[in-house]
Amino acid sequence: MSKKQKNLAVLASVFLMLLTIAPVSNAMHIMEGFLPVKYCILWGVICVPFLVIGFMNIKKVLGNDRRTLTVLALTGAFVFVLSSLKIPSVTGSCSHMTGTGLGAILFGPCVTSILGIIVLIFQAILLAHGGLTTLGANCFSMAIAGPIISWILYKLLQKANVNKRVCIFVAAFLGDLFTYCVTSFQLALAYPSEVGGIGASIAKFLGIFATTQLPLAVIEGILTVVIVIALETYAKDELSSLEF
Amino acid sequence: MQEKEPILKVEDLHFTYNGEKTALNGVDLNIYEGEKIAVLGSNGAGKSTFFLNINGVLKSHHGDIYYRGEKITKKNLNDLRKNVGIVFQDADNQIIASTVMAEVSFGPMNLKLPKKEVISRVDKALEYMNISEFKDRPPHYLSGGEKKRVSIADIIAMESEVIIFDEPTAALDPLNAAMLEEVLQKMGDEGRTMLISTHDVDFAYRWAERVIVFCHGKIIADDTPLAVFKQEDILKQANLKHPMMFDVYDILKEKGIVPDGDVYPKNIAEFQAMVKGL
Amino acid sequence: MKEKKKRFKHEHGSSFSVDYYAYASHMRSWNAGFKVLFSIISLLICIACNNLFVSLAVIFFMGFLTVAVGGLDLHHYITMLLVPIVFLIFGTIAIAIGFSMRPVGQYHVHFLNLFYIYWSKASLLKAGGLVFKALGAVSALYMMTLTTPLSEIIAVLRKAHIPKLIIELMNMIYRYIFIMIDTHSRMKNSAESRLGYCDFKTSCYSFGQVASNLLVVSLKRGNNYYNALEARCYDGDLRFLEEEKPLKAGQIVMAVIFIVVLLLIWFFTR
Repeated sequence: MSKKQKNLAVLASVFLMLLTIAPVSNAMHIMEGFLPVKYCILWGVICVPFLVIGFMNIKKVLGNDRRTLTVLALTGAFVFVLSSLKIPSVTGSCSHMTGTGLGAILFGPCVTSILGIIVLIFQAILLAHGGLTTLGANCFSMAIAGPIISWILYKLLQKANVNKRVCIFVAAFLGDLFTYCVTSFQLALAYPSEVGGIGASIAKFLGIFATTQLPLAVIEGILTVVIVIALETYAKDELSSLEF
Repeated sequence: MQEKEPILKVEDLHFTYNGEKTALNGVDLNIYEGEKIAVLGSNGAGKSTFFLNINGVLKSHHGDIYYRGEKITKKNLNDLRKNVGIVFQDADNQIIASTVMAEVSFGPMNLKLPKKEVISRVDKALEYMNISEFKDRPPHYLSGGEKKRVSIADIIAMESEVIIFDEPTAALDPLNAAMLEEVLQKMGDEGRTMLISTHDVDFAYRWAERVIVFCHGKIIADDTPLAVFKQEDILKQANLKHPMMFDVYDILKEKGIVPDGDVYPKNIAEFQAMVKGL
Repeated sequence: MKEKKKRFKHEHGSSFSVDYYAYASHMRSWNAGFKVLFSIISLLICIACNNLFVSLAVIFFMGFLTVAVGGLDLHHYITMLLVPIVFLIFGTIAIAIGFSMRPVGQYHVHFLNLFYIYWSKASLLKAGGLVFKALGAVSALYMMTLTTPLSEIIAVLRKAHIPKLIIELMNMIYRYIFIMIDTHSRMKNSAESRLGYCDFKTSCYSFGQVASNLLVVSLKRGNNYYNALEARCYDGDLRFLEEEKPLKAGQIVMAVIFIVVLLLIWFFTR
């Protein structure tokens, strides 16, 4: 290795180290302008059927009892507020919950998809997390794919009589991880590697985001357990109104 | 006065929540035009439930409500909502829109009034409450007192015949409470029909012309303030105290400082007039 | 104390400043539909052209509008632009470099004797272009969000025939967010005063408690919200009076010229 290369190597390793401890707020939202137009449209179109199903579902629930409207709006506001709160973390960086798993466990995937897209629009506008053109991609990863996995896992584990806390943790943790896998896939699809194409690119994005997303997913899992358990202890009645 | 037809006539009203908790247990009441009524009673006595019933949000299981002689059914429920307005206790529970103008326009818009009329009503209501300058501001950047004023403007813009205030002074600082009382005085002077629920017996005593006391879903007293506050058993039953002026007068009377004439002073000004001659 | 200060700064420095700036902007009197449309068209052109000069033009013009015309403090504007920068750093680096077991690519370094990190001039250029493209897109978005309150944006969506139910939910959520933030800060202070955030484990526990409490308290109020709506003759359709904000000819001309200039830049630097 020449001296120049050696310096570069040192520089690169220092930089990578920095990246692993760098404060990451919302690496899971794909930022405005980051995806080429065709992928913006592609992901938007993929979301449509899920959103239509969610919409129909909500409409049916409201047809039975219009009073549910305020409950729905409140839960939407709750997910937004939750995602804007700084959560405790080990490194002292500021990170946020996604609320994906929580939404799916409490309200089911249908309602979560509609509330999710509204929350994502609000995040893009009020918090500058994510964006309008990347709304489709973000919606698919955070409001559709993640919640569906969380919900399926939660129901399956519950049927298998696994400890409730474990159920919730696994559902929220893996839902979060799945969201980040989908995000990596979305980025890799738009920006394949020079060598190895999309496959190598997926591995690359997964690897880079893992440094922050793995610990975050663990924390999200723990917090979801604490929240759901607390809700079940204090608010059994209120919870029953959430089962759409 | 009593021969006139009441605006609202409530007959034997019963209401239970979810078929379990009885909130109203046979309420009869007539409300006449221009009355200033204070509604007293401890928490859970049924005041708020009663208000929601005579506004038409809650539907009673038994008993009837007549608005200007007409019995309220599902069909003309909106007449009731239109003509009986409630200013809720917590302005945050009431305010729904994201600018003051939009918020105040919500009621008139629901009445399906022409746009011009809506605009003129909103402007009038804002001016009445002295909040025209907040027109374009969002409620979440207003203070508690300002929000309260917005919530009153909401109802003024609907031009309801009867206005109900549910514990209006709760959670207000002294300055805002004084502002509120000024507004209430002004509205009273204009001859508006008002019902105010409150825990402040001093306020009820000096402001109201008629006092109603709720206890366990029933009206246990309905008379002039003076007559109500003289009934010790009623006060005890509803956990109420005497107004301050009342006690002060009684002590002075006992000591023989003022003549025993049963003319209880209503407020500081009247009290001053009374002791002036001594 | 220091920790507390930081938290305060975080909450007020980035979380809801957008909302606050939007209400204070001088451009609030502009027609909301026009701003939304103009912002989205510029945004799309910026992304579709994928051209450094177009991106730069969008960055500068949108910044000019927001800061000079809208009257937003330049310092605040730059702070706002820093919000999405974390993703930008991560994302662009991830795009510029690649990992490989063999030494490939134009430049590469051996990392910890495990794998090679490689990159090329082209990939760096691409990443650089992406930084500017994304910043252009963000500034176009900011031109809208920093000058138009969310309630007005929702009103534009309603005119664009987004289903009524969604519009209604959006309106309510927007309002409830601020009520919840209020409730939350009260709860959090009370938890903090009882040392609820002294270490990581307690922090997690307190966070969960406060969050679940927030939901419970809010749900309990939900019924009251609906009562209050019905008390004012709500019949399933949230209608508000909207301020008329007429379109000005000058603004349309400005927008058209800007878009034509963008397209010309793209055409000549293709």
